[in-house]
Amino acid sequence: MTRILHGVDITRGASFRGVVDFNQRYRLQHVDRNFKSTITTIVPLTDMEKLFQLRIDDDAERATFGFLPGQFVMLEVPGYGEVPISISSSPSNKAYIELCIRRAGTVTNLLHRARPGAKVGLRGPFGTHFPTGQMKGHDVLLIAGGLGLAPLRAPIFDITENRAAYGRVHILYGTKDPSQLLFDYQYETWRRVGGVELSIAVEHADADWKGEVGLITHLLDRLTLDADDTFAIVCGPPVMFKHVCSRLSARGVPMDRMFVSLERRMHCGMGKCYRCNVGHTSTCIDGPVFDYWSVMNLKESI
Amino acid sequence: MLFRTLAKAEFRKLVELLLAANEVVGPKRVGTNVRGEPLHQFLPVSAFDELALDYANTEFPPKTYFLPYREDLCSYRFGDDDWTQDIRYQVHPRVIVGMHACDINGLVKLDKVFTRDTFPSPYYLSRRKNTLIIGIDHLPGPKCFCRSVGADLVERGFDLFLSDLDTRYFVAIGSDRGFGLLQRVDAKAITDEDRADYLALRHRIADAFETHVDVQNLPSLLDIEFESKLWKKWGDKCLSCGACAMVCPTCYCYGVHERVSIDFRCGAKVKQLHSCNLLDFAMVAGNHNFRPTRESRLKYRYYHQHRGFVEAYDEPNCVGCNRCGHACLVGINPPDVIADLQAEERR
Amino acid sequence: MKYLRIEPRRPKVGIFDFTSCEGCELQLVNHEESLADFLACVEIVNFREASAARDDTYDIALVEGSISRADEVERLKSIRAKAKTLVAFGSCACFGGVNRLKNACDLVAANREVYGAHPKETLPVRAVKEIVPVDLEIPGCPVNKPEVERIVQHLMMDLPFQLPVYPVCVECKQRFTTCLYERGELCLGAISRAGCDAPCPAGGLGCWGCRGPALDANVEAFRSMVRERGFSQRELDERMSFFGGFEVRS
Repeated sequence: MTRILHGVDITRGASFRGVVDFNQRYRLQHVDRNFKSTITTIVPLTDMEKLFQLRIDDDAERATFGFLPGQFVMLEVPGYGEVPISISSSPSNKAYIELCIRRAGTVTNLLHRARPGAKVGLRGPFGTHFPTGQMKGHDVLLIAGGLGLAPLRAPIFDITENRAAYGRVHILYGTKDPSQLLFDYQYETWRRVGGVELSIAVEHADADWKGEVGLITHLLDRLTLDADDTFAIVCGPPVMFKHVCSRLSARGVPMDRMFVSLERRMHCGMGKCYRCNVGHTSTCIDGPVFDYWSVMNLKESI
Repeated sequence: MLFRTLAKAEFRKLVELLLAANEVVGPKRVGTNVRGEPLHQFLPVSAFDELALDYANTEFPPKTYFLPYREDLCSYRFGDDDWTQDIRYQVHPRVIVGMHACDINGLVKLDKVFTRDTFPSPYYLSRRKNTLIIGIDHLPGPKCFCRSVGADLVERGFDLFLSDLDTRYFVAIGSDRGFGLLQRVDAKAITDEDRADYLALRHRIADAFETHVDVQNLPSLLDIEFESKLWKKWGDKCLSCGACAMVCPTCYCYGVHERVSIDFRCGAKVKQLHSCNLLDFAMVAGNHNFRPTRESRLKYRYYHQHRGFVEAYDEPNCVGCNRCGHACLVGINPPDVIADLQAEERR
Repeated sequence: MKYLRIEPRRPKVGIFDFTSCEGCELQLVNHEESLADFLACVEIVNFREASAARDDTYDIALVEGSISRADEVERLKSIRAKAKTLVAFGSCACFGGVNRLKNACDLVAANREVYGAHPKETLPVRAVKEIVPVDLEIPGCPVNKPEVERIVQHLMMDLPFQLPVYPVCVECKQRFTTCLYERGELCLGAISRAGCDAPCPAGGLGCWGCRGPALDANVEAFRSMVRERGFSQRELDERMSFFGGFEVRS
């Protein structure tokens, strides 16, 4: 080969725009950069779940961080991994966010042993939200099974803080047994300060249990509801929301006024890794909150 | 689009100009298979003659220069119970010579996912923007079905695209960067003869396809046949090895994991391409698996490429290169699976 | 460091060899650049190959080798009784390993062949889990040191560890290795557990499945594929029996 002294360097020259360096572009950076946050308080809820209060360290980042009820964050323990967690605190709370976390894998096991003061990373918020704006002026029915109360807590805050904007508000909550009830210290506040009706049932009572025993569908069947004027949010395992939503549908609540939150494995939160795909879409971008009609049309969603 | 012609010696000169100042990657012969056919991979070359521009297909897709199999998304430094995160996007200017139309169309599809949506990926963009692409036409092999999925012609996604007119190349110019490059060599304005020769070549290419796949009705067919028994038939064959997705020029699904050095001083968040056929693709903590069976995973690869992707971008996420069909040890390939689905529909 | 304000453990580790080549133990002192840091993470209380220290209390017992004598059975049981976590370390401990090939022979004849006029007391080879419960398996012939380091990090933090569940093909493709079948050679990569980073196929040698089967490996489809490519049943069975990780119908 003849040695050519003056080659064409694609990073130089008139028609070449030079090296395109994204390291200088802040707007693109923030999707990958996590907000460093401090775990300020850890509230034990059950054997398996704890509530973590997190405060974003940087004042400017904390001020700009905002979310809508139903959205989730990617919570990262650097060096160990990242998990999607739906936000359980009030959207109006700018001081800290709360995440209810069940001990299941590597990251959540570590978090359960972490102590206040620990530094974790947050990315987000991501995903769709419950349309609380659209629900204003209507009755609202919030139905949770088990850990499903965690994603419901943000809309519960949102609704109770703006209570006058809604009609009748009911919360139906069911778990396997009394030891699994989450946020039991808040029930009185929701009832008396929040002005919502809260009904709770457990499938298996223990010696101290004085409340309802049975499936959540029993609570639902007893409830009088104005089907033409009700929005429903249903969170829980697929078998639970399927039964609940089909009963609501049978009683005349339109499927596009019922909202569920789907759970899938997520690795990016940004619609790229496609690990959370369900049917023809991805849970992180088009979900996690879907109306029930959409869910019915997603293969393998139930 | 603007066109020029380039004498073959001038093209050689062009590549040598690029070689003198840049990393140049192209199809390189790496050996032969058991049937004596040559094997090619996209690898860095140091001389024009190392390029095997007449290659049929490469073992691995050029997507790995944009979406590497493994890449660190960020690094961490730890100190006591605190840490700092550092993100660096790799800026590595590179020239890729000899990409076929299907592979360029594969990149155009990846562009839709990684550059246009709500969260453009700076990792991908950094590589895409800093890579100059010179594509080349080829006569389709017996298993190529790019024409069936509209990936045999390229309109964008490259800088220059060559079609071999025996004595010269017919060059489509896809960017100002490509235009500027041609000014460094003796490129000629096209004549009526060039145009006629080029169109004749296009017909020759179009007529040479032996494999045809009808993908028009696939989005609805995949919904209707979602519960079909034939998925079990193919699923029973599937080794769930992920080879199909690894060699696919458009499969982009990935996983993220993190690692810490044994002295706990530094760590990294690592992205690694994954495959929807692998057992743990939809597995969550506690070992619940949303897709525990081989057939459900195999089905989802087709469902994503020909239903989910169409829903999002109005085109399938398949460019018809049949690398997956070739890499599959048990012979699962899109033309057969799709034909089977369509035969099921007519039964 | 006190990560997340959690005090990591510095577990006491005992390393014990049974019927094996001790090559997996040797891997522990391999990877020199991180050896000092590795040793800082654990307190090695019993390691015949590298240290004179002897202490009979340990949190983690790394057990290398298969079990092939009555006295080994007893020794293993006493280790199990003392260890909080018992790790089957390497393919011999996990599956019986190469030693297991012996089980297919007439044991008396094999004994005579090897030891001549001085036969040794011997039993059919068994994996550790066939005798005592095993908490964690680290397969590989030999084990992969970076993977061992990751596992130790998990043990220090009391975290569950998951080996890759998918087959070697993924790692092979990710390092641009031409498929061995393309070259007309036998390879078990499509049914064998990944995590080794596929060094053998990259070096031109088909996978021998030293890490045992991938989770839910489709062995049936794999067998018919191999048959269709002209390899004999016997050749495949021999390959699959080699490290003892696969069920081979004989």
